[in-house]
Amino acid sequence: MRLLLVEDEIDIQSFLRSSLEEAGYQVEAAADGKTAEQLAVEGEFDILIVDLGLPDQDGISLILRLRQLGLHAPVLILSARRSVDDRVRGLEQGGDDYLTKPFALAELLARLRNLIKRNSPPASEATRLRVLDLELDLLRREASRSGQLLQLTPQEFVLLEYLCRNAGRVVTRSMILDRVWGMRIQPDTNVVDVHIYRLRSKVDCQGQKPLIRTLRGVGYVLKDR
Amino acid sequence: MSSKTAKPILHSAAWRISLWATLAFACGTMLVFVFLHRFVASDIQRRSDAWLSGEVEVLGDVAERTPKDALHDRVVAEVAELAGREVPNRDPMASTSNDSVFFLQTGSDGSLLLWVGAGSGLPNLKAIQTSRIVPDRPTDLNVQGTAIPFRVASTRTDDGSYIYLGLSERDELRVLRNLRARFILLWLVLVLLGFGIVFYTTRRMLSHVREITDAASRIGHSDLSARVPTTARRDEVGNLAMTLNHMLDRIEISMHQLHTITDSLAHDLRSPLTAIRGKLEISLSSGLQGDQSEPIVSVIEELDRLTDFLNKSLDVAEAKADALRLARSEVDLDELLEIMVDLYEPSMSEMNIQINLESNGPLKIEADAALIHRMIANLFDNELKHLPAGCTVNLLLKADQGCASLILEDDGPGFDREVLLHLFESRVKGKGSNGHGLGLAFVDAVIRAHGGAVTACNRQSGGARISVTLPLAFRQRAGSSAPVTRGPLK
Repeated sequence: MRLLLVEDEIDIQSFLRSSLEEAGYQVEAAADGKTAEQLAVEGEFDILIVDLGLPDQDGISLILRLRQLGLHAPVLILSARRSVDDRVRGLEQGGDDYLTKPFALAELLARLRNLIKRNSPPASEATRLRVLDLELDLLRREASRSGQLLQLTPQEFVLLEYLCRNAGRVVTRSMILDRVWGMRIQPDTNVVDVHIYRLRSKVDCQGQKPLIRTLRGVGYVLKDR
Repeated sequence: MSSKTAKPILHSAAWRISLWATLAFACGTMLVFVFLHRFVASDIQRRSDAWLSGEVEVLGDVAERTPKDALHDRVVAEVAELAGREVPNRDPMASTSNDSVFFLQTGSDGSLLLWVGAGSGLPNLKAIQTSRIVPDRPTDLNVQGTAIPFRVASTRTDDGSYIYLGLSERDELRVLRNLRARFILLWLVLVLLGFGIVFYTTRRMLSHVREITDAASRIGHSDLSARVPTTARRDEVGNLAMTLNHMLDRIEISMHQLHTITDSLAHDLRSPLTAIRGKLEISLSSGLQGDQSEPIVSVIEELDRLTDFLNKSLDVAEAKADALRLARSEVDLDELLEIMVDLYEPSMSEMNIQINLESNGPLKIEADAALIHRMIANLFDNELKHLPAGCTVNLLLKADQGCASLILEDDGPGFDREVLLHLFESRVKGKGSNGHGLGLAFVDAVIRAHGGAVTACNRQSGGARISVTLPLAFRQRAGSSAPVTRGPLK
């Protein structure tokens, strides 16, 4: 998976590069629009990360220019601005995504995966999800563990489904709020944690291997090993 | 928010202006007429006096020169009668019988010698005797039995007799009456015409002002790109429009500067925060032991709080300057609250707090969804942080006079008395609060930016009440369904 990272802040570029490479991406980095354009024309990229505030030009102008040059790869826009530009909204509707700084790495990775999945030919949608001994029937909206049916509320089922789809990967609180409740909010209370505790009390019964793990300061992960 | 009223013409200042202008015009023209009338009246009198003086002289001559024989009286009477036919200002339509002139001669003893005129002449003689008439100077004479006074000139003949020539002021008064009637008619026409012209021009001028007002009221809180219509004329109204537009230019520039400042402040703080957070996350994932990771985790949490604080501070600052940028879309408050209650209910029931939502069904507003979400989350967070166990939170959502009304009540301890008055200001927080005192200031800022209002008070029966109103989306303003009560969602 080849990724072009366009970010002028060297600090951010370096930590992004290392964590993206760790996540399995082949990363090429550019610190300004001109270099980015050159790299994008020369090499084939599967996905781009573009910061809006570049020293030589506006990130959106760069994206529009690259699109004109025939680039089809999806773009994850990074923005340190306060308001979301109308043009960003336009790009978002066109299949790209944006993330405001500062962000959690887990969220960045999740958004990248989403973008790639959206742009790849759709696989036949599974009707069942399976993670170790946990099984979800997406049609009947039922979950069971080791054959035992779990008594979940519809909301808990959606939450568990989201964790299962991202099994083995970290999901942050704001990702959960965004995907399960459809809100980009930052509550300064433990609302998400309580939902997870409740779900965990039903999924990880006594005597069973705990599946839902809390990574403090980062988020949650549903273990798949 | 149009300033147009149902019948703008009734509420126009043009009425007042036209009425005052017309009043001034009417008074002015009336004053002119009064002077004109006086001038004309005195001129008519001067002319009739000149005629009287001349005629009485002639008659005196005739009376003197005519031999005092049997024909004397007839000759004098004939001359007097002839004179009477040449009365000035005489009504040409009147009959030939002449009762507007009398001729009277008295002897030196005051007895009636000769009388030419209507009636016996005795009342006239009596009136002449009672009033002092100086020869050669015409005087007014009121005769008993005649409504209109006579103007009388006299002369004294050499034989000691007096000759009086009287001219009724009837014709003179008739001329003046005609003049007055015509003037009043003309005056009325002029005044009405003047009113019409003044009203029309004022209204035309004010219609430009109204256009400016309408345009200015359409210029929203956050959209300052529109301008009021200008005219080519360089009069006061044209200047007003130009001044308003210059003012809007300046406001737009300072608003833009504010945005630039907040944006660059956000950018300059967020970039290092991003780098710090990223590095911390990498060191966290590099397999540290539980004890070692604890400080890093708490730093990350602090960073997230700092970011949230930064965002809220800038939002509140922009909203206070009426400069919060909104990306409006349709938001169903009913649906949103249902989701929020669903999201917060587990946390609340952990704290043994009950939450109920009562709603009348879908209630749509045109709003910035992200801001409204954060605003509602703030209200819920506030309850969750400050309510002791065992309390109940009741939410009531309803449509009320074109607005969505959300009332949030609890039966907790209520707001601190000293905090209550400044509740929605930045940095105000209760004694026990460990937040940064921006939560409710942010709520207030978001609601104001959407043209709504928020109030807070302590309930009589104890507990706090926060009441939020937000303007409904245009399509939503017609009709609503019956109330539906939902208990805590499970």
